[in-house]
Amino acid sequence: MTEELIVNYYNSGKEMNQSPFLAPSSRKWGNNLSLKIAFFSAGLLLLSFFFSLSNPLLGSLFLLLTFFFAGVPALIGAIEDLAAGQLNIDVLMALAAFVSLFIGSGQEGGLLLVLFAFAGALEKSVKSRAKGAIRSLEKLTPKKAFVLRRDGSLIERALSEIRIGEKILVKAGAVIPLDGVVIEGASSVNLVHLTGENLPVSKKPGDDVPAGAHNNEGSITIEVTQESSNSTIAKIVQLITEAQKSRPKLALFLDNMMSRYATFVIISTFAFALLLPLLSSIPYLGAQGSIYRALAFMIAASPCALILAIPIAYLSAISACARKGVILKGGVVLDGLASCNKVALDKTGTLTTGALVCSEVEGATQELLSLALSLEQRADHPIAEAICSYVTNQKIAPVEIQNFRAIFGKGVEAEYRGEKVMLTGCSGCREESKICACLSYKDQKVHFTFEDALRPQARETIEALHKMGLTTVMLSGDHARSAKKVAEDLGIGQWFAGLTPEEKLRYIESDEHLVMVGDGINDAPALARAAIGISMGKMGNATAVDVSDIVLLHDRIDHLSWLFRKARQTRSIVKQNLAIAATAIALAVLPALFGMVPLWLAVILHEGGTVVVGLNALRLLSRR
Amino acid sequence: MSTHFENRDALSHVVEKKVAGFLSLTESHGTELPGQLSSGADAMRETTLFLLLSWLVLSVEMPVLIAIGVALVAWKSGRSAWLSYARMERLHRLMEEEKHEIEHNRNQEREELKALYRAKGFQGNLLEDVMDVLMADNDRLLRVMLEEELGLSLQAYDHPIKQSMGAFVGSLSAAATFVLSILFLPFWAVVATALCLIGVGAAAAAFFEKNELIPAVIWNLAIAGLSLGLAHFIVELL
Repeated sequence: MTEELIVNYYNSGKEMNQSPFLAPSSRKWGNNLSLKIAFFSAGLLLLSFFFSLSNPLLGSLFLLLTFFFAGVPALIGAIEDLAAGQLNIDVLMALAAFVSLFIGSGQEGGLLLVLFAFAGALEKSVKSRAKGAIRSLEKLTPKKAFVLRRDGSLIERALSEIRIGEKILVKAGAVIPLDGVVIEGASSVNLVHLTGENLPVSKKPGDDVPAGAHNNEGSITIEVTQESSNSTIAKIVQLITEAQKSRPKLALFLDNMMSRYATFVIISTFAFALLLPLLSSIPYLGAQGSIYRALAFMIAASPCALILAIPIAYLSAISACARKGVILKGGVVLDGLASCNKVALDKTGTLTTGALVCSEVEGATQELLSLALSLEQRADHPIAEAICSYVTNQKIAPVEIQNFRAIFGKGVEAEYRGEKVMLTGCSGCREESKICACLSYKDQKVHFTFEDALRPQARETIEALHKMGLTTVMLSGDHARSAKKVAEDLGIGQWFAGLTPEEKLRYIESDEHLVMVGDGINDAPALARAAIGISMGKMGNATAVDVSDIVLLHDRIDHLSWLFRKARQTRSIVKQNLAIAATAIALAVLPALFGMVPLWLAVILHEGGTVVVGLNALRLLSRR
Repeated sequence: MSTHFENRDALSHVVEKKVAGFLSLTESHGTELPGQLSSGADAMRETTLFLLLSWLVLSVEMPVLIAIGVALVAWKSGRSAWLSYARMERLHRLMEEEKHEIEHNRNQEREELKALYRAKGFQGNLLEDVMDVLMADNDRLLRVMLEEELGLSLQAYDHPIKQSMGAFVGSLSAAATFVLSILFLPFWAVVATALCLIGVGAAAAAFFEKNELIPAVIWNLAIAGLSLGLAHFIVELL
């Protein structure tokens, strides 16, 4: 489909090799073009060095080619920045490289350009990886829906044209295109399109359904409650986009500093070049001349390590998180997370899965459990799954039943040996805040009690957080008995039950270094107020996802300890990079100015530092 | 009448857009055919003509001729990539403008589309149904407008670097063949080789453009002969 080409082009951030106008066989020519050009330029520069020893003219010819391939893009960027009134590091680098030609040190300038091209290509490559998360989400989003007209006829329309209150038909097997409320029909939906996990949830008239959910077996009519730009999936896409645009405070601070620094270095270079001969016996020209020394100073003082390696560190960390299903609002979130010392966790949907398990069974016999399994094998409901799982674990086989029938909203029934067998909910249990089901056959009954299952790895995660020196607390809106049990099971010493959203918010406000982890709309105020809010992508309500800083897309609670480790590792690597970059500059600047090191050595010291911090930052790409 | 149409009807607007689309495919400094084979054929002709001119009319020495050949190879390759990038930039700009119109002037876009399909013979309910289907999907609508309104073709162009490689191979093979023919062949054979190179370039271009072969080859040879003749007589006169 050629439309997909247009979608891919825009999703890629308008990458040239994704242009819909390009022939398919031609696209690969544009893959990693920046990196290819950087390598090609490096090869040309090596040839230039090699031939300059035996045949300087040939060496100059290859240097010309190096400047063409690596220098022209840098020059264009610098002139565009200057035209926009920006005196930044790109201008400083391009100026240093091209001015080096005039004092016969073109190869040093070429080296600067090649290393600059490599740094740029690496940054582009990391950015491209981070865009993958958006691309995969965009692919899941339907672009049109069947709108039900007043006369009952259907018309297919673009989502952007569908307004709140309109009715749309979602066929079985289709992805729900917009957030809405079911007004007709019944079905089960799952969020496999959003998270990759397949857990159907029954939906009947009056129930909310989120955009991006997969409609399973039934056709349903929904009334739209959010326009496409505000839908659940649109919010997740927006969150990822914000993550890529948002820059950490440290990076913003460095951007400002770099601009001032570049101005200072350029002015100082001109000042040294002009004033040194006037204040001392140093001549203007020659290898010991003021121009040469000023240029060596300019190259050595170019802080490319600082400006390139820190964004690469944050982008690498964001990219690693995105690939693990952890979506960040930006590098600043990692800074914040590394500064926190306490984690508050919601219970239902966060520490527990929301999926039911059989916790208690009364009056069971092998025959009755066989009947329960036979009935629930044919049903598609969380209770049915819990019963099937329980009976199967008892190694009990199903029996043959007849005339199976699902009674929507009540339960299931069938016939066994001419007698009716029913499995329905128990109204009495609801009053005690319990989830129960009852199997009736002849005059026999089996009573099943269910409870919310703890998330896998929840206990290990809490233990890992404690080992990292973090304090944990559970904030639950559930009743005390259930909250206490979960807290004890997980080893959480401090817990609060029966909290309203306002009470949760008040607790969060009491600590400035607190991370809140939640999923529901009742957690949204606390998520928004916390130093860092983390929400569950699958269980999470659209509002909770919207206000949080981090989304655990796969609802994997064990990613929490990994995330803290990644945040601390990122901060540590940023600090290491700052130290390496500052040392490299200090080692190169002063000796270069005083003529103690030649220009080529100043360049190697300086750009070597850039490469080292760049490689150091790339360690954050690891998903471990 | 909406300002979008600038006091013209929808069909006139469509015609104007189609002309804009057509112009976007041409080059302001000569036409660069899409595809590495076309650019190779073009580069072969031009490189041969310049070298023949330098050797035959200006009588330049072999080292200078080689230098001119290398410069031509660099120029033709670089220019081909640049023209191709410039064309892609124009196409993307047109697509961006059309996307903006689809997102912000939907009613006018519907009118344009309706005019197009009415001109194709669609009428009444069928025309409205077609409009409903096309307007339902913005991505499809953008594709339709690019193809139908602007007359552009998707997936039709080679990557600029690939096209540039075509020009590189075309000009390098022409320069190398010409220089080697001077070294090893008599005068008349060198001229014949050059004419063959121009003829092959012209024939290849005609083939890719689906033009008639014989007139294309003869016209190209005649234009090359005219250029050489004019240069020769002007040198003699001056």
